[in-house]
Amino acid sequence: MKPSNFPTIISITEDEIDLNALVEKITLTSTGAAAIFTGMVRGKTKRTGHAQGIAYAPHETTYLEYEAYIPMAEKKMRQVADEIREKWDVVEGIAIVQRIGKLYPRTPTVLIACTASHRDTGVFEAARYGIDRLKEIVPIWKKEFMPDGEEWVEGEYIPKREE
Amino acid sequence: MNKVKVLFFATMRTRAKRSSIDLELAENTTIAELKKTLIAKIPALEASLPSTLVSVNREFAFDEEMIPTNAEIALFPPVSGG
Repeated sequence: MKPSNFPTIISITEDEIDLNALVEKITLTSTGAAAIFTGMVRGKTKRTGHAQGIAYAPHETTYLEYEAYIPMAEKKMRQVADEIREKWDVVEGIAIVQRIGKLYPRTPTVLIACTASHRDTGVFEAARYGIDRLKEIVPIWKKEFMPDGEEWVEGEYIPKREE
Repeated sequence: MNKVKVLFFATMRTRAKRSSIDLELAENTTIAELKKTLIAKIPALEASLPSTLVSVNREFAFDEEMIPTNAEIALFPPVSGG
């Protein structure tokens, strides 16, 4: 199979993310490894951190509400997949899925999966790169609802020209 | 005149109290000039503009760039998906 025929699945959905079905779709007869990253809504944040230079303390999250600029987000998710293929030509299938809407703790919100022939091909790094880039350039936002209020979560990354 | 649509997302939508606005711009208007026009129409946007990202026809755009005709423009904060 030529690289250009390798499956790339890009999706923004309000439906549950079906991990098994997605991995099945990017598994070829030549595939021997899949690196799957999925992020979920964290109900209890224990560590301190910062976003936009503003510190946040340990806190509880009731739910998150996700919003996307869907046509641009799909375009940028496709760009992330293209960048993965440029950096790791061993990657066979790629699935990038973002769930949007109102999502409660323990619910998977995002999936990045990459497949390759073997595990030592860079496939772990490819999936890691995918989620890091999604959080930089794909126009999706979340609003956090806590027991004592609500707040838009803003990222920090400012895209450069030609990004 | 150049008719464009400006979409607002996340905090910008909250600040603007609307999800979009239709504008008629002069030919060769830049992103920086568009920002000034928007502040004049919706003063609540001003405080957020320094950290706001802009896209034109679904690609990131920058202050000195000229806006093409019938563009789909969007204003939004740095992304926080995942």
